[in-house]
Amino acid sequence: MPTPRPLSVIVPVRDGSATLARALTAILASELPRDDYELIVVDDASSDSSAELAARYADTVVRLTMRKSGAAYARNRGAELARGEVLAFVDADAMVRPDTLPRMLQMLSDQPGLDAVSASHEQIAGAPNLVSQYWNLLLHFGEQMQAGTTGNVASPCAVIRRQVFLSAGMYDEWRFETARLEGIEFAHRLEDSGRNVFSSTELTITGLKHWNVRSLCSEVWDRSALLARSLGYQRTRTAVPSDVVFTLSRALAPAFAVLCFVAFSAAFLPAPNAAVKGALVVLGTIALNFPAYRFFAKMRGIPFAIVVAPLHLLMQAINGLGLCAGWVLRDAVGDREPDAATQAYAEVGVEIWPPVPRASGR
Amino acid sequence: MDFSQGIAVVPVNAEISPAADRPSQAQAFADAMGMEKPEERRTTGPGYDRAKERGLPRRTPRVSLIVVLPENHVVSPDRLAEGLRAHGNQDVDVVVACAGQPTNLGALQRSVRDAQFLLAPAGTSTEDLRELAMRQVPGDIVTLLSGALLPAAGADTSLLMTS
Repeated sequence: MPTPRPLSVIVPVRDGSATLARALTAILASELPRDDYELIVVDDASSDSSAELAARYADTVVRLTMRKSGAAYARNRGAELARGEVLAFVDADAMVRPDTLPRMLQMLSDQPGLDAVSASHEQIAGAPNLVSQYWNLLLHFGEQMQAGTTGNVASPCAVIRRQVFLSAGMYDEWRFETARLEGIEFAHRLEDSGRNVFSSTELTITGLKHWNVRSLCSEVWDRSALLARSLGYQRTRTAVPSDVVFTLSRALAPAFAVLCFVAFSAAFLPAPNAAVKGALVVLGTIALNFPAYRFFAKMRGIPFAIVVAPLHLLMQAINGLGLCAGWVLRDAVGDREPDAATQAYAEVGVEIWPPVPRASGR
Repeated sequence: MDFSQGIAVVPVNAEISPAADRPSQAQAFADAMGMEKPEERRTTGPGYDRAKERGLPRRTPRVSLIVVLPENHVVSPDRLAEGLRAHGNQDVDVVVACAGQPTNLGALQRSVRDAQFLLAPAGTSTEDLRELAMRQVPGDIVTLLSGALLPAAGADTSLLMTS
């Protein structure tokens, strides 16, 4: 049999050629002997040259065809091939520091009772544009505010003992094709079975993805709706308060703004003019979002905080709407499920490649 | 890098061995190395071949092994055997990507029957060879095996090498 290695690094990628090379180069620059780990890249039906690019660096490249199946599905395929005693999942748009993976391995080695360790985001984003910088800083803000509590064994970087990963049933492939919430659901299962997950704010990665307003709106909507629909708001808020959904929804600033505007218009006769109402609403939202704005100003200066304030408000509004949509769908339609053909194939147990997506832990 | 220039794809023994009747790479290499013969493969048989011909979904993934040999690099038979064994009883398509002309083509052919050879111009880097080979192989699961720098004169002569 081939020689097992201590670590298998698994990188799922879909149309990630813009960031993949930097992510893989960073992994190869880790302070680990090259023979101590294998690098597996799983290409989730990319339409770009991600697979060919991955081949420049990886030990194994898995090409999933037919249809895009999501990061959870891709990670599971990588884990099935992995020979390492510990699995590391690193996003294709995440750049690990040279000491991130070695320190994570060391933590697992030093603490036999610890089963998984996840890293957090650095405050600086790899992409220089304003939206990317804002989003990375927001993720960093949530993780710093709720340090040590993140139950997310996936994004952007996490390690887990292989045996624990397999015995827990791996990631749920049915419900998480788009939003990156499979790690939270998996951490729920781990904790339910008495496993220990630790999130470190000292172990960090740099987010490389280039975000624009549209892609960010889509990300926030998907995360919020799926979280409310499939994971449950209250339970997830208790387990993973550092998630960006809760960072955005904690202040309820957009709802406050709308209520204030209506109240000012209806409660006072004669109604105050628009400028007064606007000023009051702005002051109220600033007050509610003060911790976040103060953090932005402290990290990047007051001009940055002022510039991203409207963007932050927009994300909060989309987040609130997404949560509402998720709740409605959960009550009206039920939890998210794949199409009937996939369910039928899974039930019958048809053996094909790529495998039929599987549900786990329900 | 533009891979369309100066690349030759050489399927060794392709004209004398119909694909359906060929032994697997693992079997061929095991024969050459005097290794124990693998058991019957799950991916062989009339049903599997018909599915491949019709383009239907396969039951198992197609596996490819890329051996990357830049100039003055070699790969030991043991490493190659390990790379093949890693896939157990599955059929493995072997592609040897070389920078420059291999000096011992015959030895390579004997060791890895049915392998394809990609001959890139001398000086092609390891990364470019890997990418080139990746574009050529059909595998769903592709393992890449890099050669090591040519050892000093008098070293193990059983190594497979390029000049």
